[in-house]
Amino acid sequence: MKITQFQERLFEQGREYGYTDMEIYYSASRSVAVTVRAGEVDSYRVAETSGLSFRGLIRGRMGYASTEQLETDSISFLLEEAAGNAAVLDTDDDSDLFGGSDQYPQLQTYTAGLLDTPPDKLIAAAKQLEQLVLDADERITMVRQSSASVREHEVLIANTRGLHCHQQDSVGSMSVYVLAGTESETVSGGWFDYDLSNFEAIDPQQIAERAAYEVVSKLGASSMPSGMVPVILREDAASSLLAAHASIFSAEQVEKGFSSLVGKLGETIAGSNITLVDDPLMERVPGTTTFDAEGVAASRNVLIEQGKLNTFLHNRKTAAKAGTTTTGNAARGGYKGKLGVSHHNLYIEPGTRSLKQLIADIDYGVLITELHGLHAGTNPTSGNFSLSCIGYLIENGAIARPVNQITVSGNFYELLNDVVELGNDARFTGSCTSPSLRVRELSISGS
Amino acid sequence: MLQPIVVERILQAALETGGDFAEIFVEDRTDRDLGMIGGVLERALSGRDYGIGIRILKGVFSVYAYTSDLSEDNLLRTARKAAGALDGSKLDTVINFDRLQVENRHPVLQQPSAAQHSRKLDIMRTAHEALKQGHPLIEQTSVGLLSWQQKVLIANSEGLWAEDTRTYTRLRLSAVAVDGSNRQSGMRAPGALAGMEFVEGLDIAAEAAEAARIAATMVKAGYAPSGKLPVVIENGFGGVLFHEACGHGLEATAVGVNASVFAGKLGEQIASPLVTAIDDGTIPNAWGSLNIDDEGMKTQRNVLIENGILKGYLIDRVGSRRMNMAPTGSGRRQSYRFAPTSRMNNTFISEGDSTREQMIANTEYGIYARSLGGGSVNTATSDFNFAINEAYMIRNGKIAEPIKGATLIGKGIDTLQKIDMVGGNLDHGQGMCGSVSGSLPVNCGQPTLRVSEMTVGGRKGE
Repeated sequence: MKITQFQERLFEQGREYGYTDMEIYYSASRSVAVTVRAGEVDSYRVAETSGLSFRGLIRGRMGYASTEQLETDSISFLLEEAAGNAAVLDTDDDSDLFGGSDQYPQLQTYTAGLLDTPPDKLIAAAKQLEQLVLDADERITMVRQSSASVREHEVLIANTRGLHCHQQDSVGSMSVYVLAGTESETVSGGWFDYDLSNFEAIDPQQIAERAAYEVVSKLGASSMPSGMVPVILREDAASSLLAAHASIFSAEQVEKGFSSLVGKLGETIAGSNITLVDDPLMERVPGTTTFDAEGVAASRNVLIEQGKLNTFLHNRKTAAKAGTTTTGNAARGGYKGKLGVSHHNLYIEPGTRSLKQLIADIDYGVLITELHGLHAGTNPTSGNFSLSCIGYLIENGAIARPVNQITVSGNFYELLNDVVELGNDARFTGSCTSPSLRVRELSISGS
Repeated sequence: MLQPIVVERILQAALETGGDFAEIFVEDRTDRDLGMIGGVLERALSGRDYGIGIRILKGVFSVYAYTSDLSEDNLLRTARKAAGALDGSKLDTVINFDRLQVENRHPVLQQPSAAQHSRKLDIMRTAHEALKQGHPLIEQTSVGLLSWQQKVLIANSEGLWAEDTRTYTRLRLSAVAVDGSNRQSGMRAPGALAGMEFVEGLDIAAEAAEAARIAATMVKAGYAPSGKLPVVIENGFGGVLFHEACGHGLEATAVGVNASVFAGKLGEQIASPLVTAIDDGTIPNAWGSLNIDDEGMKTQRNVLIENGILKGYLIDRVGSRRMNMAPTGSGRRQSYRFAPTSRMNNTFISEGDSTREQMIANTEYGIYARSLGGGSVNTATSDFNFAINEAYMIRNGKIAEPIKGATLIGKGIDTLQKIDMVGGNLDHGQGMCGSVSGSLPVNCGQPTLRVSEMTVGGRKGE
């Protein structure tokens, strides 16, 4: 069944069932992905899925249910389950749907032809990328996977209050994952790039060169002595650490006591060199959007301005509780989840000097390029982290050798006050972005 | 679900361009998820996933297509689109479905349903009260009760027709203790391949008390030291050590393409002689068990390591073709959105004959890791890491003060050789394992054991 027809029938039967207000959040995606290995196509994937979340107000309470099947019998499933769920909820602070913002920003996120990139072109590109990496360095022993994909996605939010928000986005990407080594040693690494409108704009040569550097430069790594050491978190490692802690800026997490930023609004919580922005309207960044999951117009928000905590991220519910207005950060974890709060395109404003210049200032320290096990080794509530990592030892202002089998430990809240300098190398890949961060010192555990 | 005649048309369409094998995986899954924070029920969600994955193989080349539109027209179109990735000509294939008789080893007494809401709420309130009463420092509680039922149909061009229903139930308990500006959480999350009877049978007060005890203990803990130390790892979910240090490295996904440190080492001593490791998908009602895997093969008990010697790998259908070895009932996927790959079920280290007391007493200075969190591994290098949720120093053969914030790291090939004591108290813990074919329920198990040396990622020099 088509989504518009499904929506019509759902709302019609919902009214008969006793719902006074109703909303659907529909998302659909289509993608083609190929992977190549040893000069042959290894896998070829075609996906086409959609799902719909329903929420409706019944007897004064909001009930939720979702389905991937847009057929007649799903309508009764949604209406019955959502009513059952509404009846058991202890909260009724989630009871009004949004009729729409007066104005929505404009943003170019979709290129119609991208998904129609011929599969042969994807395959040829992935094969070319694999060969380029193999040719880049003789120490590369295997390309585990060379991939090319195109994807498009759409979201529709519509409700009985007149809201109708629709957006499409598209992205093409290529990635490669490589092994290098000798008899006694194996190392791995990779790189990727993307383009939002034109698959051919992705440069396999650049990806190959970077991937080769990433893997080969790890050869000969060993541990290093434990101690408190000056650390540079390279932009990708810093971005992953920011992502693991991004939830602390959500008003929902703050209110529930899961963020140590509780009560800190208006206070200085970071060094004056830290400005943290959520900008859903940035051009040419994946995941940007003109409205949030409640249909509120998205906007740029400065969370930390030169160290001062200006605002948390809000949806309409958390804003009402806190006596403020929504920042347009309502979110759903896909169409299945309950309405929550999340950032769109969170980033730390970059500095002015290059990573190389940051390294040049350090006599002895570590450049960390990868943090592992972030899902387990971080605790956003307390901010404490202890993470397996790899990178390079810095001696006398230059990279001396690769390092592995070490951990880095610290506290994210303290780290925000301990950034000595920020690099100019922020790479916007969507969701969370940080430039390289030189941190005064962190605890390294090694040999 | 789909009729055999329709399935046959789909499979024949998928084979039109020379594929030598075609398969469908149809899934109809219903999820129910209740969440309570601070005793207030804040989350009540229901969802239905419904879709089909179509896979075509030609040798080890695999094509996978999936869709949530199950109209016959769309399915035939999707199958042909997938077949478009091959350019051969159709082989003559006659498909006669032979229904696989699946003995249900995992009986479900009470299927979860929306009708159980009030009973579930009672259980959750009991859990909330027990968490709150568990310790004076507990300031926040969180209780989740989730269940899902996954009906699957797997049929392939070799004539397999297998259907199964998997029912999962899990209770999540978490307590947050606050001491000054310190906040720490403690968590328990027992789960089973079973219905509501699993939760009804739990000692909820004891589970809640344990979560509260961990939170209240760890909020007072100082930082762990840095460096290389002996570590005694408690039984149960401590098995995440083997899961990360070795288990992923034995999956055909890595071994079959020679991207694992354990590739080509069958018959070799890869671990201490004290280590015998098993992956068993047949344990009744265990969180990681299945009657049949997601390729329609009956699960089995696979001996991976016996007295330190590598005996076997975890092999799916494609892995079997790559490695010329029989599949092991280990083909798994989170949903129809994923092509199956080799994965673990219930993985554990078998019992030895030491005791926890002996291990502690024989450790002059080290770490006692009582409760572990998740981890990850790079199978190419076997570099692994996992987090400690509750740990103590061992000083002069005795358990001393609690320590927090430590990740343990190592290289699987080294760490397995350094297991120097294994206890006789095997137990299993439940986790979700994320990998190429999605997030799956797995058990990690072991008796208490000691590793003579691991890198402890603390932040205090001693």
